[in-house]
Amino acid sequence: MIGGQHFKVAIIGGGPAGIGVAVGLAKRGIGPVVLIERRAEVGGTPMGYRKKPGGVPTFVEWTRGRVVFGEELAGRMAKRLAKTDTTIRLSAQVTQIDPAEKRLTLLGPEGVCDVTADAVVLAAGAREQTPAEKGWLAGARTARVGFTRHITGWLDCHGLLPARKPVVVGSDLIAYSAAAKLRAAGSDEPVMIDRRRSPSAGLFERLFFRRWTRPDWSGDVTAAGIKGDRSAAGVQSSDGQDWPGDGVIICGELVPNTELALLGGLAVELPSRQLQLARGQALSEPGWFAAGNVLGGFHGAQWCYFNGRQVARRVAKFLK
Amino acid sequence: MTQFGTWQPKIRGKLFYNWPQGACEEALRFTSAGQLGGEPYDVAIVGAGVVGCGLAYRLSQYDLRVLLVDRLHDVGEGTSKANSALIHSGYDAKPGSLESKLLHEAEADWPGLAARLKIPLDPIGGIMMAVTDEQERQLEAAEKNAHANRATDVRILSAAEIRECEPNASPDVRGGLLVPGESLVDPFMASIAYAEIALANGVDILLGADIAGVELGQPPGAPLHHLVTADGHRLPAHRIVNAAGLGSRRLADGYGGGAFDINPRRGQFLLFDKSARPLVQHILLPVPTAHTKGVLVAPTIFGNLLAGPTAEDLPLDDPAATHTTVEGIRRVVEGGSRLVDGLARQPVIATYAGARCACSQGSYVIRHNDGAPGIVTITGVRSTGLTASISLARHLIDGMQKELGLELSPDSAALDSRPESAWPGWWRRPFENGATDARADHGCAVCFCEVISRGEIRDALDSPLKPRTMDALKRRTRALTGRCQGFDCLVPLAEIVSGHTGIGIAQLTKNGPGSELVAPGQAEVTA
Repeated sequence: MIGGQHFKVAIIGGGPAGIGVAVGLAKRGIGPVVLIERRAEVGGTPMGYRKKPGGVPTFVEWTRGRVVFGEELAGRMAKRLAKTDTTIRLSAQVTQIDPAEKRLTLLGPEGVCDVTADAVVLAAGAREQTPAEKGWLAGARTARVGFTRHITGWLDCHGLLPARKPVVVGSDLIAYSAAAKLRAAGSDEPVMIDRRRSPSAGLFERLFFRRWTRPDWSGDVTAAGIKGDRSAAGVQSSDGQDWPGDGVIICGELVPNTELALLGGLAVELPSRQLQLARGQALSEPGWFAAGNVLGGFHGAQWCYFNGRQVARRVAKFLK
Repeated sequence: MTQFGTWQPKIRGKLFYNWPQGACEEALRFTSAGQLGGEPYDVAIVGAGVVGCGLAYRLSQYDLRVLLVDRLHDVGEGTSKANSALIHSGYDAKPGSLESKLLHEAEADWPGLAARLKIPLDPIGGIMMAVTDEQERQLEAAEKNAHANRATDVRILSAAEIRECEPNASPDVRGGLLVPGESLVDPFMASIAYAEIALANGVDILLGADIAGVELGQPPGAPLHHLVTADGHRLPAHRIVNAAGLGSRRLADGYGGGAFDINPRRGQFLLFDKSARPLVQHILLPVPTAHTKGVLVAPTIFGNLLAGPTAEDLPLDDPAATHTTVEGIRRVVEGGSRLVDGLARQPVIATYAGARCACSQGSYVIRHNDGAPGIVTITGVRSTGLTASISLARHLIDGMQKELGLELSPDSAALDSRPESAWPGWWRRPFENGATDARADHGCAVCFCEVISRGEIRDALDSPLKPRTMDALKRRTRALTGRCQGFDCLVPLAEIVSGHTGIGIAQLTKNGPGSELVAPGQAEVTA
C-alpha cells in the first residue's frame, strides 16, 4: 500500500511520455517519484504493436535510421525506466484529483488510497475520436465498428482478422497504419473515407505505407451513416454513395485523455477537451504539467518520450 | 462489510439460449423442447421487454407454470433498452385513460419497488419549461391536466423561480411547471431484476427463440396452444400473452388477432459526458406540441446528461428504426439548446436511437381471448411502459383472472425482492465503499471511463440470467458505455469473458448470432 504517501512528483500514465518524465527526473536526482499506470504493464499504446514477421512496422524510430515495431520501442523505454528508482504502480487508476492539494485518489488491486505530491504530470495519452464526436457519422450501432486500437488487440494479441472488407474512417497517419495492418494480415484493399477533400496524412507518410496498402480513397463526405443490422455492412453517405464492407474502423483524430483535469476542475477547453496550457506545458493550477499526446494532436512515441524529458526539466525548475 | 460477488439465489426456473453453435456454454443451449419438461405452460409470455418481464415477475408470485420467451439474446433488449431512462408521473396523460390510471398507480409503487428489486432510482423531479409566450399560456391548462391526473403536487413556477434552481436555463424561459414525481432510473436494471426474480421463482426463460407462429388448440374447454419457433420447436401453453412490442403485429397474425396497426416511432438521443451533468438540476421538459412531447434535457442515473428524443414515424420492419442520423442529432441539439444554455458546447459521448411501439388504435391496447380463447394481446405501449410495467402486470393478471379463467394460488416460497448484493457494481461501488474483504479483481479497472473492475464483469457473468453478449454485459456493468466507447476496454473485456466462460474469443458477439466481434469464419490463433 502506498496510501497517504507523499511524493516529490506523481506521474499519471506510463506510456512513452510518462516514462520520459520519470527518466528525466531521475537524471536530475529528483525523488521520490511515483508513476501510476492503469494497465498491467508500462509502455502505453506502442506496446500493443507486436513484432511479427510480415507485420507492418509502425511507431517508427527514425533517429537511428531504421524502423522498429512499437513493442520493441516501448520495451526499450521501459528498460530505461527500470533503471531508475521510480515507484511504479501498475493496474492502478487515478479516479479523482484535487488540483489545489495535488492529491490523487487511486483505485488498485490493494484498494483505494490517496497520494500527494509537490508536482503532478498528466501524461495520460489520447484516444481515437468516436463517431458521435465526429458528428458527421451516424447510423446503426452494430458489431464490428471499432478503433485502430482494436485492430492491434485482435490481430497482434489474438491472431484474429477483425474485418475482411474494412471501411476505414479517417485519413491521418493512424488511418494509413490501420489500413496497412489489415491489408498485410490478409484483408481486401480497404476503403478509406473522410470528411476532408484530400487525406490528412502527408505525402511522405502515404508513400511509406504504399508497400502494404493503396486504400480506395473517397473524400468530401459531409454526412454518412454506418449500415448494417447486427454487424456493420459498410457506410453510406447522405447523398447516396455506398461503401460496402464487413467492418468499420474509426481511425485517428486523437482526443486527449483530459477527463481527470476536466472533472477535477483544471482548465479544459470544450468541446475539444484540449488542456489550457501555459508556458512550459504547465496547467491552470501551479505544480501541474502535461506531457505527450495529452497535449492534443498526434505525436509519435519518440516525440512523446522526449517531450516527457523536457517536461521533467520544467518540473525540476518548478520544484526549486 | 461490503459484499463482493453477485446474488446467487436458488434457481427454480430453467434458462436456455436457443443458439446452436452460439457463444454460450453447452449447458445453456436449447436443443429440444423436451429440455423445458413436457408439461404445458399455464402462461407463455412472448416478449421479454420490460412489459413481459414485469408480467413474469408478478406471475412468479403464484403457483403457475410460466414461460418467458424472446427472439433476442437478453431481456430488455428491444424497445426497452433505448429510452429516456425516466420514471414518469403521468401528469401529462389523458385523464381517465388506462395510461393515466396505470401511471398513477405505478408512481406510488416505484420507490418501494426500486428498493426491493435493487433498481437504481433518483427522484429528482422535473420542470416543464415554457420558452415562448404561447407556451407560457399553455402552462395553466397543463397544470389543470396534471391535477386531473391526480398529480396534485404539480404547480406553476415563475421564470425567476426557475432561474433560481436552474442557473443554466435558457434566457428565453418564461415560466414553467414543477413536476416533482419524475425520477431518473436505470432502465436496463428494471427488466433484468424482474426476470432474475421470475427465474429464481421457477419461470422458464428461453432467449434467442423467434416465435414464427402459433398452432391454435381446439375448443371446447381451455384449448392447448403451441408456440412454434422459427426453427420448429413447439412450446405448449394454455394461455399466451403477446407482449412482443414491435413484433406483436406479426405474432397476432399467427393467431388471427384483431386489427391494430403499429409502427416504430424513432427517438434519437444524444448523451453528454459527466462534466455536463452539473448543468441541470432537474429533468427539463419542453412544452409538448400536438405531435410530440419534444426534446427533453435530463441527467441520467449514471451521471451523464441526455438530450432527446426525436419523434419520427417509420414503417414497420424498417431496419433504420434504431439508426441515428446526422440531421436527427442536429435537431436534438437544437431542441435541447432551447431549454439549456451552452448545451451545444458540451462534450458528447454517444448517440443512440430507440423505437417506441406506436399504435394507431391508441396506447395500451389490451385484448383478451384475441383470435382464440386463452390469448391476450398487449400492444401500443410507448415511452411510459417502463414506469407502468408494474401496474400493467397487475392489470393484465386481473384481466386474465376475469376473462381467461386463470386461477391464482400464491406460491409461499416465491421471492419478491433481490438482496443488497444484487445492486449493480457501478452503483454500490464495492471497493470504494470500505470493503474489508478486498478482492484484488474488484480493484482492477477494465473500463477506465466508468471505472468498472474485472471483478464486476465476472460477477455479471455469474448473475442468474447468465449474460453472454457484450451488450448484455454493458447494460449490467456499464463497461463500454463511457466516453471512449470501448476504445480501451473492448478487447480486454472480450478476454475476460472468454477466460471466465471458456467461449472462444472469435465466437463472442455484441448481441447474438450475426454480431461477432471479428469477421466470422476464421480459425482462432491464440498466442
